[in-house]
Amino acid sequence: MAEYFVARGLPVPAELSQNPLTHWRRLIVIALSLGVVYIGLRITKIDLSSANPEYAAGVIGQLFHWDFSILTPRDEFETFWDTAEGQMIVTIFLGIIATVFAIIVALPLSFLGARNIMTGNVLTGGIYVVVRLVFTIIRSIDVLIVVIIFGVLLGIGSAAGVLALAFHNVGVLGKLYSEAIEGIDPGPLEAITATGANRVQVIWTAVLPQIVNPYISFTIYRLDTNVRLAPILGLVGGGGIGILLFQSVNLLQYGAAGLIIFMIVVTVALMDFASAQIRRRLV
Amino acid sequence: MAAVLAIQDLVKVYPSGTRAVNGVSLEIQRGEFVVLIGLSGSGKSSLLRCINRLVEPTSGRVVFDGADVTRASRAELRRIRRRIGMVFQQFNLVRRGSVLSNTLAGRLGYRPAWRTILGRPLREDVAAAFENLGRVGIADKAFARADALSGGQQQRVGIARALMQHPDLMLADEPVASLDPATSHSVMKYLEEINKKDGITVICSLHFLSLARRYGTRVIALKAGAVAFDGRPDAIDERRFKEIYGEDAVEVEIGPERSQPQPMSATEAALAALASDPDLGGIADR
Ligand SMILES: Nc1ncnc2c1ncn2[C@@H]1O[C@H](COP(=O)(O)OP(=O)(O)OP(=O)(O)O)[C@@H](O)[C@H]1O
Ligand SMILES: [Mg+2]
Repeated sequence: MAEYFVARGLPVPAELSQNPLTHWRRLIVIALSLGVVYIGLRITKIDLSSANPEYAAGVIGQLFHWDFSILTPRDEFETFWDTAEGQMIVTIFLGIIATVFAIIVALPLSFLGARNIMTGNVLTGGIYVVVRLVFTIIRSIDVLIVVIIFGVLLGIGSAAGVLALAFHNVGVLGKLYSEAIEGIDPGPLEAITATGANRVQVIWTAVLPQIVNPYISFTIYRLDTNVRLAPILGLVGGGGIGILLFQSVNLLQYGAAGLIIFMIVVTVALMDFASAQIRRRLV
Repeated sequence: MAAVLAIQDLVKVYPSGTRAVNGVSLEIQRGEFVVLIGLSGSGKSSLLRCINRLVEPTSGRVVFDGADVTRASRAELRRIRRRIGMVFQQFNLVRRGSVLSNTLAGRLGYRPAWRTILGRPLREDVAAAFENLGRVGIADKAFARADALSGGQQQRVGIARALMQHPDLMLADEPVASLDPATSHSVMKYLEEINKKDGITVICSLHFLSLARRYGTRVIALKAGAVAFDGRPDAIDERRFKEIYGEDAVEVEIGPERSQPQPMSATEAALAALASDPDLGGIADR
């Protein structure tokens, strides 16, 4: 390759003669990565010696000996809603309600968190920064941690689960919505502003038509995610089928646990399929 | 006659440090068709946007019909803006909206926000929208989606939208730069018509001197944000041209109005002929 430059009497670029893999910066990165893995293995004490293969095999076997008695009420005090399938439906609705709550808060806030709408004066610019910071902070707290906190604050149960999930989603949807607004074509905004329209009219006429589809798409994506997350909420006190799963594992009822896991898998797969179908039709 | 627009020592410095407009002073009389020319980056768009404060001027004054635009409060500014129409190179229509709703948007400055939110335009506004769409020859497209239209048609919607404002002044930022020569002429002719028939003052930036000569009553050339020439279009000779565009520039002709150098298909020839006819121009780029 260097001949090209030599033949024309040009200086040979240094980049040509360097092997990028042996460049000192890369060597440092490789050494650091290996160091991290080594230290990680040392301090986390990953130890499989206490695992019992025979016992594990037994449990796995039991997980497939499904206990169908959880599909019917156990006594005269239980109703359909106490059965596993009843709780599965409740769980789906926990995810849906949490999404709805999150939309109600995130939708108006997202306008305050969009730079292209909020620039112009110091006050709105400040609001923009604060709103986006709040979104980021909320999003950075894992939803399971939020459920645990809300469980302490509100008592274990559906309220904690739904509100925690909603809270987390305000951060996620708020950011997605705001970014959808920031991604719009600024041309119509400029043109509508130039007609003498006020801010509300500009948003209504030039912004809304451009964000309807991304908003629907993001909302369905989060609905899908939330319905998948909902069964897990019960494991940390958020209500729904997760509580049943948690109980049956604690009581060593692996047949029931296996069936519940299967039901969750089927539900999630169906949600996945439905959400992909709807979103594909949107775009 | 009083100037419809007076610009005094206008300066625009962007936060990046670029001096896009560097001390421009101009007086523009009612009824003029001013063509703004200059190299890319010479500040044409910035100057036009300072006039209605889509871009906030750094210093200087803009006075529109006796009202100080630069000092206007937000409410006053909106009242001024609604009398200044603007059309854009990229048309800037709401793409998913209908042609009619895009046209109606030109009335927003005159109507309360609740009417916008309820989506109930006044009957008289709808009638005016059809009338203005008719003027630019696309009334039959009123219910089509804006992005289903050709570029020339979209720009005509842009003109109809601006006409809805009953403007005294029309700003046009390279309105034909995204269009082919024949369509360019058809759009320019509408600007010419509203200038001549309605007496609306036009300030239009253009890239081609041939178009400037054909449509302008006055040409203002910008160079590095300052006025390098201001006078009659026919006063721009070879020497002035090189002053404005640099020593290496050669003047090119944008496609002629009636015939094109390359052989044309029958339809193209018909379109070009229609485009040059102001009465039939409406169907030129269908
Ligand atoms: N929003 C902005 N922020 C920073 N600099 C800008 C901005 N808009 C324009 N400029 C700069 O200001 C100068 C003038 O730009 P302007 O768009 O007004 O020129 P123009 O004559 O319209 O050019 P063109 O013919 O390419 O449209 C350029 O150097 C440009 O880079
Ligand atoms: Mg420009």
